[in-house]
Amino acid sequence: MSEIQRVILRRLRNAMITIFGIITLNFFLINVMGNPLDLISRAPNVSPDIRKNTCIRLGLCDQDGNALDLLTRFVNYIQNFFTGNMGTSFNWKDTPVVDVIIPALGWTLLLIGTSTVITIIIGMVLGAISAQQRGKPFDIAATGFSLFFYGMPFFWLALMMQLGFTKQEFGLNWWPVFPSGQQYDFTIPVFNWGNIDHVMNALYHIVLPAATLSLGTVAGVSLVMRNSLIDAMTEDYVVTARAKGLPERLILRRHVLPNGLPPMVTLIALDMAFIFGGAYQVEYVFSYRGIGWVTIEAINAFDFPVLQFVVVLGGIAVVVANFVADLILLKIDPRIKVA
Amino acid sequence: MAFPSGSLGYWLRRRLGMSEVRREKFVLAMKRLNEILDAVIHHRMGGIGLGILSFFVTLAIIAPFLPIPAPQYSFTDGQGRYLATVDPSWEHPFGTDQNGRDILSRVIWGSRISLVVGLMASVIAAVLGTLVGLISGYWGGWRDEVLMRVNDILLSLPWLALLIVLAQILGGTLSLNVIILTIGLTSWNFTARVVRAQVLSVRERVFVERAKASGASSLSILRKHIFPNVFPLVFANTILTVAVAILSESTLAFLGKVDITNLSWGVVLEDAFGSSAAINGHWAWIIMPGLALVFVILGFSLLGYALDEILNPKLRER
Repeated sequence: MSEIQRVILRRLRNAMITIFGIITLNFFLINVMGNPLDLISRAPNVSPDIRKNTCIRLGLCDQDGNALDLLTRFVNYIQNFFTGNMGTSFNWKDTPVVDVIIPALGWTLLLIGTSTVITIIIGMVLGAISAQQRGKPFDIAATGFSLFFYGMPFFWLALMMQLGFTKQEFGLNWWPVFPSGQQYDFTIPVFNWGNIDHVMNALYHIVLPAATLSLGTVAGVSLVMRNSLIDAMTEDYVVTARAKGLPERLILRRHVLPNGLPPMVTLIALDMAFIFGGAYQVEYVFSYRGIGWVTIEAINAFDFPVLQFVVVLGGIAVVVANFVADLILLKIDPRIKVA
Repeated sequence: MAFPSGSLGYWLRRRLGMSEVRREKFVLAMKRLNEILDAVIHHRMGGIGLGILSFFVTLAIIAPFLPIPAPQYSFTDGQGRYLATVDPSWEHPFGTDQNGRDILSRVIWGSRISLVVGLMASVIAAVLGTLVGLISGYWGGWRDEVLMRVNDILLSLPWLALLIVLAQILGGTLSLNVIILTIGLTSWNFTARVVRAQVLSVRERVFVERAKASGASSLSILRKHIFPNVFPLVFANTILTVAVAILSESTLAFLGKVDITNLSWGVVLEDAFGSSAAINGHWAWIIMPGLALVFVILGFSLLGYALDEILNPKLRER
């Protein structure tokens, strides 16, 4: 087995451990939040029969109606998890969790996908120009702009967008008015290409949320791009290359970019968790029924099965993104040389 | 080194009446502190950050002495109705909220909770992160493996969901202590990583080898040799963590997860969102608390980066 295979195997093992840890921690955290049984039995005028049946149906009691302890529930949870049985939602009228999550996931992927593509393109271009114009007015303006947006709370940015692009005296009334909340039918699946009205409507409603998310994340990308390019540009071998008369374009392609770009891959993977957090807030403000909106609803309703699945899903997505980034880095980074 | 008479250092030294060795160490520490402060002020980013923060800290301290109405006081008209959502005027420079309370006063008083939560939570995060970083960096082996996996898990979980769930576990309606604890418990991982990396490099240095050879215990090596070399980084990182902690607090408050008597900028914004201030065009209600938030976060970030550049030996060499 070569060294590189061993490295990949170790990363894979770590990713597995992390995913298992997420699943375990997630169960205990959410179940310590309060026993759902108490919440059910708190409801007045519930006959013991109904209470017992509900308890069994939700998987909190055994067939005789005796409450199961935490450990048994954990074992059941792990078993169900790996057999793909995620249970039914407490809140959404006994819909299977998967049926609550999947439509929401579609909307979130549309939002995150759109804004991430915009962010990466704009951020990298902005960072590259800043690096090239280091110290000149453009660089100072772009860096100042990035720093200002870097620590901005997403929910505030979302509110500002609503303020600016809706119809009231302070908004830009001459601008096409963008909707600030849910006015479209979420029961239609998100990727429904045949229905042109639906597609146009969805695009129209996604403009503000996606723009908010992009504005909030573009700063991190452009700052890191700028710094890692400047690091690469000031290396001795670039000076040497310039001294021996290589054309600038060749220097950029052969020496600067191969060393300046790998940090971007890591950053974008690490940013996944951050983007998820941002998407939660944006979805909440715009009443956009994606994963974040569902999560916040689930927390307010103590809807444990949905919450468990959502948190695990988010965690696994981040772990997988990091693992893929590691693999890409091994491939493209000239500095990681494994014999 | 002699402090100019009348300076803080001079006064402290006179007051404390320390032994010769201690005095010597104290003087050295004060000298280093003066140097750092000087460097921060002359560092462009650090100077701006320090300026912004001084403004808000002063505002938070003098809030009770300012000629503004109490933040919880509801203005009413003649018939006893709330003067709700009044537009900005001389009397109410930022207008009033849904209960007729003065928004300028709420923004000024809100700085107190925002700053206190940020500072306290990052102290907890700094202590936890330093402990984890020291242990996993110095001893390595299985301790390192376990702690770093825990770190990975915490980094991968969606932080907002984790924050809300933890907050819910630690108490139903979130008091100030619970908010601080929750945020502290979820934001130590970055500090831990930085400390661990630094410990790994300090551990191999000659003076640690020498201490080991002369039979010093691990604890005393950690305390006397490793910690002093890691501390500056912890300090710079804690300042950066404050920004994150303030952001977390405001997000929790905005999502309606905190006890609203803990008036912070997030609470003011939650009221604004709950009253559809954006759609109704109450601009000051949204812009003012948000700008305060953004500037304080910017201030801590700038100061943190400046300190990192000044104190981090790796960056200083460039």
